[in-house]
Amino acid sequence: MGLRAYVARRIVYSIILIWAVITINFLIFSMLPGDPIAQYVASLKGRIDKERYEQLRHDFGLDQPLHVRYLHSLISLLTFNFGREAGSGEPVLNVMREPMLNTIILMGTAEVLSIIVGILLGVIAAYKRDGIIDTVLTTGSLVTYSVPIFFVGWIVILIFAIQLHWFPAGGWIPDWPRGYVPTSFEYVLARLRYIVLPTFTLFLFTVGGWILLTRACVLETINEDYVVTARAKGLKERTVLYKHVLKNASLPLITSVALAFASLVGGAIITETLFSYNGMGLLTWHAIYPVPNLPLLQAIFYISALLVIIANFIADLLYGIIDPRIRYG
Amino acid sequence: MKTLATRKARLKFTVRRFKNVMTQISKSKRGTLGVGVIVFFVILAILAPVIAPYDPIRPRRDPEQYPAFSGQTILKIADKLCYPVWYKYLPWITRGPSERIDQFVNTLILSDGELYPKTTSFQLRDRVAEPLTVTAELPNGTVIELVQNKEWTWDIEKIRQVNIDPTLATNLPNGTVISVKYLTGFEITENIDILSDPGITSSETLNKINFLTNYSDSFNIEFNNEKGFKNDGCIAIEYSKTSSEDEEITLEIPFEYPHWSPPKSFVTHFSARLEADTSNARVIATVYIENKNTNKTYLISSIADNPIKPSPQFLHYSEVSTSNETTTNVGSLYPEQVIFPLPSNVSFIVKLKFQNVNQSATLYLDNLQCLLYGNSFGLLGTDNGSPYPPRDIFSTLVHGTRVSLIVGVLSALFSTIIGLFLGLISGYMGGFVDEIIMRFADLLLVLPTLPLFIVLIAVMKSTYGLVNIWNIIILITFFGWMSFSRSVRSMVLSIRERPFIEAAKAAGGGKFYIITRHIIPNVFPLVYVTLATSVPGAIITEASLSWLGLGDPSVPSWGKILYDFNVSGIAVTKGLTEYWFWIFPPCVAIALLATAFILLGFALDEILNPKLRERR
Repeated sequence: MGLRAYVARRIVYSIILIWAVITINFLIFSMLPGDPIAQYVASLKGRIDKERYEQLRHDFGLDQPLHVRYLHSLISLLTFNFGREAGSGEPVLNVMREPMLNTIILMGTAEVLSIIVGILLGVIAAYKRDGIIDTVLTTGSLVTYSVPIFFVGWIVILIFAIQLHWFPAGGWIPDWPRGYVPTSFEYVLARLRYIVLPTFTLFLFTVGGWILLTRACVLETINEDYVVTARAKGLKERTVLYKHVLKNASLPLITSVALAFASLVGGAIITETLFSYNGMGLLTWHAIYPVPNLPLLQAIFYISALLVIIANFIADLLYGIIDPRIRYG
Repeated sequence: MKTLATRKARLKFTVRRFKNVMTQISKSKRGTLGVGVIVFFVILAILAPVIAPYDPIRPRRDPEQYPAFSGQTILKIADKLCYPVWYKYLPWITRGPSERIDQFVNTLILSDGELYPKTTSFQLRDRVAEPLTVTAELPNGTVIELVQNKEWTWDIEKIRQVNIDPTLATNLPNGTVISVKYLTGFEITENIDILSDPGITSSETLNKINFLTNYSDSFNIEFNNEKGFKNDGCIAIEYSKTSSEDEEITLEIPFEYPHWSPPKSFVTHFSARLEADTSNARVIATVYIENKNTNKTYLISSIADNPIKPSPQFLHYSEVSTSNETTTNVGSLYPEQVIFPLPSNVSFIVKLKFQNVNQSATLYLDNLQCLLYGNSFGLLGTDNGSPYPPRDIFSTLVHGTRVSLIVGVLSALFSTIIGLFLGLISGYMGGFVDEIIMRFADLLLVLPTLPLFIVLIAVMKSTYGLVNIWNIIILITFFGWMSFSRSVRSMVLSIRERPFIEAAKAAGGGKFYIITRHIIPNVFPLVYVTLATSVPGAIITEASLSWLGLGDPSVPSWGKILYDFNVSGIAVTKGLTEYWFWIFPPCVAIALLATAFILLGFALDEILNPKLRERR
């Protein structure tokens, strides 16, 4: 199986996943007893007649059989047609566009940072195993691994925003005076100031997992014969570690990248709510509290699932490129 | 006999193995720590009703002692947003009087050719404990002391405001700084029950009450130990008419108010029952609080329009300081600030006026109390009391241990069982079944669980109106078995090929026999480890859901404490620095319990999978 066939297989697999997500979305929605129109009519308390009710059902396509409705929802989700917001009447996709971009920026930065730092520290911990550095790093990782993210966030706010006043405690963009148009440099700088603390929180939340995983993977390979050979050849310790050990140990790490994304989405929801950062997480919070806004929640779930599937797909591709065994195995 | 012996032997073996593992855990530092913390929390969970004295969801003062607050009306245990009781020992918390100077700049504006002062009334920042002096510093440096009532007046009781005479303000040059000097005080205050025995269960309580009357011949006061509300004793005031007037008796309970801050609110309460020789007899009760230092008596409530009539049952009267009647009687929206400005000697007074009595009557008084709510309570203070009355955070925290342990352990148990079952089937059967199970597991692994949980719970909420703790356990279980079933499957795949399985097959062992007798025992060490390591995830997921307000609102979980904090708006107004004791204890508890299970899991991993030990 060449690279092309491998990629084709992954594409088919991703498409199946997307189909499954859409189906789950549809199932959740049809789980509700009655239909949205019936709920709307109930809220009007009899100020609407039977004919108008049937008309509304017909207009929204709710009188059609299940499989037709399923097809409709399949098509509209695939074309990102989530309908309009109940309150403002704006298309849901427009409401989500900016938060989505902000979330991708936040999660991407945090993920990349924590992977790089986590792998470096993990290699160090494995190399100096049972030493002081190793004990500190693994214990620290275990603790950050099991500390809930809102706790991390609150401590970060308390230290860096309230005590030290280094960064703003919440928000995502400063209140520019009315009519003031910031230069693009100013804009980027301001955005950076607001993104630092949420990123740091997410970084602390995820880095422990990477340290532990890298350490375990490196320990798995560090006693292999080819490592001994490399040492015997007289290669520098650093070359052995990063070229021979880490390269082989990194394979399981790549699969974890994709899975880490799924948990990162959850972490981002809480972090963004905590920092009032205008992302999908804050949008989720506004869709839950005080009254649940189901269509928006579903759109959010669909988009985050899609993000995770795409991240998975990219990780799979990387895996295929780095490890030739996958392609031909 | 034979089976009994083998069973006994097997039990012995199991016990020995368990003991063996326990000794090994006790040798590992991490394991001991983990087990210690878990045992601590388990004890906390079991003893919760003993340790935590208050109801974690709807706490209330005993309605038997305060029967006016029974049923739907609840007498709160403390005021909202209390500090912990130990807060006053913190070095940076000030105590005592403090002088305040509020300054304002007199600004004159020109309009129609004449100068007008921009404003002539100033709002003071703090409560005024003692009257004030007002000085004006002119721009050239001269300082004038302003004369009270001539040049300025105040309304400190009602709206904390100083008014300057407009003509004077017009005469003061632009830029004059007007300084208002006054005394205020700050202290962490505590709840004060002025009678420690409001149910009047012993005659000694009567010694704390002064009975004052101009008609001493008419009244006879004694302790009655059977006629009280709940038959636990009460005050009996025996009255026999000696004059033609309406005769009056005054009950006075003197006490000392020790704090430099006023209480946050107060409640008065009493129950009364009248026995008289005529049904027209009435007793009119009026409640006052007298501050002896300022020599002012404040009417709290008068029940002239609802007097005590002869009746076979007790009637209950109560008044809260925020009620319309009290605020209008005292003449301030904050009656407690007016009545208790400084540490002072105070009296709680109930005046009883007997009307229309023929010859004699007996009034039974019970449940007499005046409660002053301070701003500190319990070990961890109270929350903002929404939608129910303020809760004792410590009690909620202790009861929350149960929820976290139950959710964590049960979800881990169920998901491990499902994972084991599906992993065994998938690994041993292989083929089509394997493919289906593993693809399904892959799908679930890829789904972002928290957004999915949020959607599902939101749907459940709008469908059934509520979510209970079991829904959450089921959700966590359903999305928690995948990675374990994968590792079980891979283990089964390698075990399946080993010679002893082949031998068992050759000996005629069926699938079920081989799985239960040969494969499961080999997989089991992994089960223990997974049990321990999947508890933290479940605990944190439950806490996160409750944090977002998607938990069971009738269950006192740790995440719910944090949700209450989130939606109280305290984080925005007062900040984490002041109310850290509200959120950090539950956070630390979640982190500790989760870490403990992870440590236990790692210790078990090292003990039960000795391969790892050799490598390290």
